[in-house]
Amino acid sequence: MAEILVKNGFVVDPTNKIDGEKMDIAIKDGKIVKKVNERKAKIIDASGLTVMAGGVDIHSHIAGAEVNMGRLIRPEDHYKDAVRKTKLTRSGTGYSIPSTFVTGYRYSTMGYTTVMNGSFAPLKAKHVHEELNDIPLLDKGTYPLLGDWWFVLENLAKGDIEECARHVAWMMQSTKGYAIKVVNPGGLESWGFGHNVHSIDDQVPNFCITPREIVRGLIKVDKMLNLPHTIHLHTNNLGQPGNYKTTLDTMRAIEDLSTDGKPVAHITHIQFASFAGDDWGKFRSGADEISKYINAHNHITLDMGQVIFTDTTTMTADGPFEYTLYTLSGHKWVNSDVETEASGGIIPFTYKKNNAVNAIQWSIGLEIALLVKDPWKIFMTTDHPNGGPFMSYPRVLAWLMSKKAREATLKRCHKKAQKKSLLPSIDRELSLYELAIVTRAGTAKALGMPNKGHLGVGADGDVAIFNINPETTDIAKKYKAVRKAFKESVYTIKDGKIVAKDGEVVDNTTPGRTMWVDVKTKQPCIINEEMKRKFREYWSIEYENYPVSDHYVKVSDKLTVEASV
Amino acid sequence: MTEFKSVVCPICGCLCDDLEITVENNEIVKMKNGCAVCEAKMVYGYKSEERILKPMIRKDGKLVPVTMDEAIHKAAQILVDAKYPLLYGWSSSTNEAQRIGVELAEELGSTLDNCASICHGPSVMATQEIGIPTATLGQIRHRADLIVYWACNPWTSHPRHVERYTAFTEGRFEKSEWKNYMLKLKGETGKKKIEAASKRLGQYSPPPRPQVCMVDAPPKSIQKMGRKMIVVDVRKTKTAEAADYFLQVEPNKDYEIFSALRCLVNDQELDIDKVGGVPVDYLKDVADAMINCEFGAIFFGLGLTQSLGRFRNIEVAIALTRDLNRRTKFVISPMRGHFNVTGANIVFAWQTGYPYAIDFSQGYPQYNPGEFTINDLLRRGDNDATLVISSDPGAHFPKSSMQNMMKHPLITINPDMNAISRLGDVVFPAQWCGIEYSGTAYRMDSVPIPLKKVVEPPPGILNDQELLERILNEVRAIKAQKTEVQTKVKGEVRSAAKTVKKTAKRTKRKVA
Amino acid sequence: MITLTPLRNFDVPVHASCINPDEFKSKTLKEIAELPVTEGNRNLTLSDLFKIEQDKTETPSITLNGDFKKVKRVGQGMKTGEIIINGNAGMHTGERMAGGKIVINGNADSWTGSEMKAGTIEIHGDAGDYLASPYRGSGTGVKGGYIIVDGSVGNEVGCYLKGGVIKIKGNAGIFLGYHMTDGAIYVEKQCSSRTGAAMTGGKIILAGTVTELMPSFTIDSIKPKVKVDATQSVAGPFYVFLGDLADHGTGKLFVSKTNNPQLAFYEKYL
Repeated sequence: MAEILVKNGFVVDPTNKIDGEKMDIAIKDGKIVKKVNERKAKIIDASGLTVMAGGVDIHSHIAGAEVNMGRLIRPEDHYKDAVRKTKLTRSGTGYSIPSTFVTGYRYSTMGYTTVMNGSFAPLKAKHVHEELNDIPLLDKGTYPLLGDWWFVLENLAKGDIEECARHVAWMMQSTKGYAIKVVNPGGLESWGFGHNVHSIDDQVPNFCITPREIVRGLIKVDKMLNLPHTIHLHTNNLGQPGNYKTTLDTMRAIEDLSTDGKPVAHITHIQFASFAGDDWGKFRSGADEISKYINAHNHITLDMGQVIFTDTTTMTADGPFEYTLYTLSGHKWVNSDVETEASGGIIPFTYKKNNAVNAIQWSIGLEIALLVKDPWKIFMTTDHPNGGPFMSYPRVLAWLMSKKAREATLKRCHKKAQKKSLLPSIDRELSLYELAIVTRAGTAKALGMPNKGHLGVGADGDVAIFNINPETTDIAKKYKAVRKAFKESVYTIKDGKIVAKDGEVVDNTTPGRTMWVDVKTKQPCIINEEMKRKFREYWSIEYENYPVSDHYVKVSDKLTVEASV
Repeated sequence: MTEFKSVVCPICGCLCDDLEITVENNEIVKMKNGCAVCEAKMVYGYKSEERILKPMIRKDGKLVPVTMDEAIHKAAQILVDAKYPLLYGWSSSTNEAQRIGVELAEELGSTLDNCASICHGPSVMATQEIGIPTATLGQIRHRADLIVYWACNPWTSHPRHVERYTAFTEGRFEKSEWKNYMLKLKGETGKKKIEAASKRLGQYSPPPRPQVCMVDAPPKSIQKMGRKMIVVDVRKTKTAEAADYFLQVEPNKDYEIFSALRCLVNDQELDIDKVGGVPVDYLKDVADAMINCEFGAIFFGLGLTQSLGRFRNIEVAIALTRDLNRRTKFVISPMRGHFNVTGANIVFAWQTGYPYAIDFSQGYPQYNPGEFTINDLLRRGDNDATLVISSDPGAHFPKSSMQNMMKHPLITINPDMNAISRLGDVVFPAQWCGIEYSGTAYRMDSVPIPLKKVVEPPPGILNDQELLERILNEVRAIKAQKTEVQTKVKGEVRSAAKTVKKTAKRTKRKVA
Repeated sequence: MITLTPLRNFDVPVHASCINPDEFKSKTLKEIAELPVTEGNRNLTLSDLFKIEQDKTETPSITLNGDFKKVKRVGQGMKTGEIIINGNAGMHTGERMAGGKIVINGNADSWTGSEMKAGTIEIHGDAGDYLASPYRGSGTGVKGGYIIVDGSVGNEVGCYLKGGVIKIKGNAGIFLGYHMTDGAIYVEKQCSSRTGAAMTGGKIILAGTVTELMPSFTIDSIKPKVKVDATQSVAGPFYVFLGDLADHGTGKLFVSKTNNPQLAFYEKYL
């Protein structure tokens, strides 16, 4: 494999506490090394450019049954954004939910090298892996939805956490997942009969359990199994006015589970969970309350779920939430319940500046990101495609880094939003160093990926080089230039190969790895005939046909962990 | 003797995966759990005498066996030479083969369509217009207490659908009602037997049918607790005989009836008292049953998708389901036919964004049913070469379509000598998907299920994926050669032109 | 003025969105000849397929002589100028047009005037399906403009209509004005069933006979005459129906009383 030497760039690597130092980065055999043979290596002159590790996205819906259904129902969204075949790349379509190949290309040309898929129903695990195989140039992982799985509900209701942990371990292996995803715990099961839970202490119908118990139980399971990532939580009452209280309740309910000061849960797309006000008319931001709590506690990490003013497609496993959205919008609505496991919904949605609620939502995301003091606690996402497609990340970055950019957008927003927004009172502007945390170093750390998100020796050879000269550019003022720089990386290097240059894919031979966790429990989950019968009763497919066999993963990157049960 | 368990049945959209198969001397000798349709294919059908064992090319009007390489080269040549080829079929093939299919279409700049085009394509289109509230079949099994089969007859088309997923099954929250239904069916059969016997004895006079109304009034039982089954169709099928209530409607009136039901569910009064041959009062009872159930499910078939109105019929059915969700929980699901036609839609969608009716002629995917669907293309005579894989349009398509298809070269890939293979210019043999090679297929509710290989294919026959890969490579090779030749020719032309100019100049000078 | 004549019959579809007055404007004849078109999957130039002639009039108009049935997307997105087609027109003619005029002296294929915003389309023959209807999955219908058809039209004409006027002098197929929210459609002769299904606004005027009315419409009144647009009003009497009730719509359906005696029973509700 070729050796690469990136010379004279301004290196921003928060994991190794390097802040804009001019230095060389050497890559050999797909890994960062101390040095390479300068004569043999390909030299990239990065003088005047910023060098970072490849981006790591912690939550983005890029593959699986739900995502593909979203693709399928929106021809009117695709046909505005057709992507031509080239000698190197496949054709496809874009906008809010790009086709698989285009997803890979577009992420890569933005300097991203790792993307974690937000969720999938375990029954449809093979589908998500088939799609991940068709997303090139990226390392990927995916989170199985386990919060409303009947085995989890039953075992937790019984109080048998160890049995629950063994089942979760089996599921992690069987579906080749990376982390436990919990969506509206208890709500998805209730949605089976068209109901929902409204607080963390509501009883889940037909199961003697509450959302509080589910979340606490799964955090304990996550710890027992030693999983690299915490549970990945989408809270109850998401998208409802006044839900910041539920979010705070959830966070308080798990405070005691963090013993070593480490996070125990990642609350995803926090913007959608930080609404205050009693109804849509009195809708306001709950950012202040949420960020105050986060600043005082260390057991939670967050990602933004920032809203972009554009036409997009919302999709989540939270079936009842999508139903509410349907009753509000009357737009085309997909609901897809999955037996014994989950539900799901899709609604196309346009966020408008002149809509007070949408504009306040836009403000909430940025407010929390800026009010939370420690960048290691909140990461940048748009919950692609829920808040907006991932191609809009550069715009979010510009808003984070420049008050001027925020003001420029805010002044075009609905009057009510302008009045209610906390943004004018916030002067903070993220530095490049902080930006590298919220887009790569922090996410990699939260995901438990020691080889990603930084440029230390031994890390993966994933590097992104951007056209920003921190010495000469005043980022906060020149936000448009920054936006442009993050839109198209000068170089993206994946596993020691230059895959994209100046916004174009130049090497399409890297399929990217699929990362999954193989949990070794001391006592494996016993699958006897009795158990198989139960599987058959619960699901409509046979036990033997349920697991994702190895050939479904093109390039497997197995992480073996030893569980304590 | 080898026994296979949990084998998946590669026939209909149900993809039952509990077959137990016994293989002896590379032959399936016994099959357990499968339905009659499954048995016909898995035990007998795949051993057909009509099996194609060698690739063939039509020479002087006759199909002549050739080597695989020759056939692949010929097929690739046809596809490269064509200005607007069409690739069609895919529904009885694996996802893995379909993926290569998209790549081939893209490389060729061809049109790409699958069998949804003639079955549930309208359902997909309706989903694109209005979305779809749906659920996996297991969810329906566990929870549904009202099951509506609309314009479909699972008893014959999806024989185990009722037994595995709906009225006859036991779910966590719903008991099986199979005993009642079986009693009812037995009663119906008995009645028919008596009628037939008395007819033979000459004592039979059919009971006078009321002239005004063919439809029976809904029984009280459709309002009861527990599982209920309603069948809506234009004729009384076997499924209808088992149902609690059979609502017979006039053909091509489904849209009107759905609209009327929507009005009733939304508490609107109607000006008329009969819709599609059904008294509005009866529809009121049906609407009540729909509103009062805990979890309802509508299954619909080709009677909706291919009758007057096509995708708008599905759209209004989905609209009714949406309205019902404001009152209770309701889902709707198409009864997909071929075992992997859902998969074809899914694979095409993730690679291109579009489920079927795709055109690559502009270098990027375009989508428009009606413009790029196979029958519309053929009817207009747009294409100049066709490749058909794992499908038999020869047996099902209108004459006008087939006539236009036959004007141009045709390549077929099918395991046995069906109607379309007989018409082919290049005829490839194929393996039986799900019997002779493994892969993935998607059930009608988009659940992926791994197909199993249980017997070895005849020697020398490639599976769809391998064959398509080889055709794709050959196409690329021919194209590369062509561009090489073209650049060469261009170069020669240019140098020739130069010499001409030079000589012209020289002559001019000489003349001067 | 530019005149295009096909050099031969086309077997496979030709994609020629470049035939557009805005594209031709300020281009020399040579530049126009070089404009890209595709025939099937082959990339060609306009002069490969058409004879291109220019006459001296300065008006930015294009005349197409011959059969253009296989030529798709003529005048797509045009904003100014005029296209005259002396022959049949292909699919998507005048799609998304925002101004100018297209005259078709022949039949028009499906998706003519799809998603148009303004301008005029005159069809002096029949029109296919989806005249003035949006793309698949899109609820963005025609926002404005004027379409007149001398002959008959196919199915699903004027779906999701938001504005503008469509006048049809012949017959119309099923689902006329499906899901329309505003604008007006006028049919002079026979109209098939499911007219105005799912409409929530706008008006449809049926001066001839109607096969069947949707059950989800309710009678409102009888009017002696009705205005189609500023220039035309039709003498009745007309039954006025409101609908589609299933979508809580208040669209108006005017149906000729004299030509439809089968609807007389509705009068008892008045």
